[in-house]
Amino acid sequence: MTSVIVDNNLHIWLKELAEKYILIAPVTSDGVTLFKHVKAPEVGSIDLQFLNTAVSPKGYFFPLSETIFSIGVERGDVIAPMNADAEVVIFGIRPCDAAGIALIDRVFLAEPVDISYKGKRDRTILIGLACNTPSPECFCTSVGGGPANPMYLDIMLTHTPSGYIVQAITGKGKELTPVTMVEEKDVPSPPTPRIAAIPMEGVREIMRRNFDSPYWDRVADRCIHCNICSYVCPCCYCFDIRDYAGKDKIDRVRSWESCQSAGFTRIAGGHDPRPTKGARLRQRWYHKLLYYPTLFGDIKCTGCGRCVRSCPVNIDIREIIMDVQKLNV
Amino acid sequence: MIEIIRNKAKEWLEKNEDGCVIGYERASDGMTARPVFIYEPHMMGKLIFDETCVHNLSKYLLNRRGTRTAVVVKPCDSRGINLLINEHQLDRDSIYIIGVVCPGMKESHFGRIEDHPLSKCRRCLHHTPAVYDVLVGEPQPETASHDYSDVARIEGMSLQERNAFWKEQFGRCIRCYGCRQICIGCYCQECFVDELDPLWVGIRSCPEDNWIWNIGRAFHLSARCISCGECERVCPVGIPLMLANRKLEKESADLFDFEPGMDAATAPPFATFIKEETLEKVE
Repeated sequence: MTSVIVDNNLHIWLKELAEKYILIAPVTSDGVTLFKHVKAPEVGSIDLQFLNTAVSPKGYFFPLSETIFSIGVERGDVIAPMNADAEVVIFGIRPCDAAGIALIDRVFLAEPVDISYKGKRDRTILIGLACNTPSPECFCTSVGGGPANPMYLDIMLTHTPSGYIVQAITGKGKELTPVTMVEEKDVPSPPTPRIAAIPMEGVREIMRRNFDSPYWDRVADRCIHCNICSYVCPCCYCFDIRDYAGKDKIDRVRSWESCQSAGFTRIAGGHDPRPTKGARLRQRWYHKLLYYPTLFGDIKCTGCGRCVRSCPVNIDIREIIMDVQKLNV
Repeated sequence: MIEIIRNKAKEWLEKNEDGCVIGYERASDGMTARPVFIYEPHMMGKLIFDETCVHNLSKYLLNRRGTRTAVVVKPCDSRGINLLINEHQLDRDSIYIIGVVCPGMKESHFGRIEDHPLSKCRRCLHHTPAVYDVLVGEPQPETASHDYSDVARIEGMSLQERNAFWKEQFGRCIRCYGCRQICIGCYCQECFVDELDPLWVGIRSCPEDNWIWNIGRAFHLSARCISCGECERVCPVGIPLMLANRKLEKESADLFDFEPGMDAATAPPFATFIKEETLEKVE
């Protein structure tokens, strides 16, 4: 027997969630699917058939821009940012994106803990939606994930013709499960979709030996060095900090930045340790496939395929991984 | 058609051993195209040309200043070369232009080719490149008149409606600068949003700054945008950037009877100063 919530009840549950929490869910408008704040009367606009959102939901923990603190102009006093304390429910997050947040956790929750990130993380509940139809660019199973992987979620939902199978994964998830709306039924799980495997053997070792390979410059030929890949990625977490002077206070603002942008490593005096396109492109792949794995054990990629889908010039991480394996010098 | 492109590119590269050919090859999805840089004549078999060759390859010429480069261009892309030559960014003699008569490109995404043409192609006037060293295909007559129905729809809105429309569109902007990086007209060494002193806009993403960025970008391209539509194609959150570009294109056509990039000799109106010109008061 499995716990199942039928479509009608799901709608009622979503409405309740929107009334009690800040509900974040996928919404498609102008042909683009994005996570959005959905209020109770709008739950009908939630897109339950979406493949995945254009941008990952990492911004709900690590925002595109946020004021980390301010300084009063008159007295020079430190003003803490206004921290919202409302609880947030992210509904419909895919297993790959939850895995992305877990990868960022290891960096932002390590000592010294990033207070702003932790605050948002602690008051957010993740309700996942298993992937029944992955995209052609997906490869989660090659990087330790899976289309129905419930790890890192509080509740996992799986769509079947008879409703959504509900699995409470954590204590938070159990508490949130709408017991009165769930029926115990004999509903089989849908077949796990097949996702093409990418060979990952020896990538780290080969990367270590091929830092100076001309290969990186050749791939960078067509790279336009925008920040799209880093910004849509569920686990890229680089940022920059700037002060914005206002009339009464100066805001210290943290915003997403990308190792692909030209000024990213430029330092005082004008020196840039990564002055070429090849050096910048190489950095992204080394961080994902060598530096992060060396520090934390796992590849910094969840196989969501967003960078493959969004890259204007088809720089495909799967192709990079396979090319790297041929470099072996 | 593709054999002519390959042969011409090969001939040129054999004569220019230190050169590079920029064209299209098959992408990793096995069905669409992506840019390719070829340095060896025997690799020319990689080149393809079909209805998925959407990219404007002329932008890459800026990375290869001072070196010899051959480039495959569609009519819209070719106008970018004229723009860059006029703005003293490129040396015409170091470029070999393989101009292709364009059948119109189809809307394509990774692993998927749609049945309909790209919106820019539906409204395209010029089907033969404006500049080339070798022309591939039979020159095609131009489409007679502009279709600005998309722009007219926005013009028909009230100020409040327009404001709400763009607020919604720019509200999605994640400031990845994909539109800038792909744009042939965006080649400033330091973009106004990257400048730190003074800090005009900076890295902060908020509704006001997103507005400044997107409007600023469009205005910097007024009477310079060559309608290749690349900014709109690459935008990961689907902002209709060409609507703003086309509004400015329409204005500059009406005011100055000017179409950017049609030749390399005529400077865009904002890059010229004629003493006799007078300002017209707009009511």
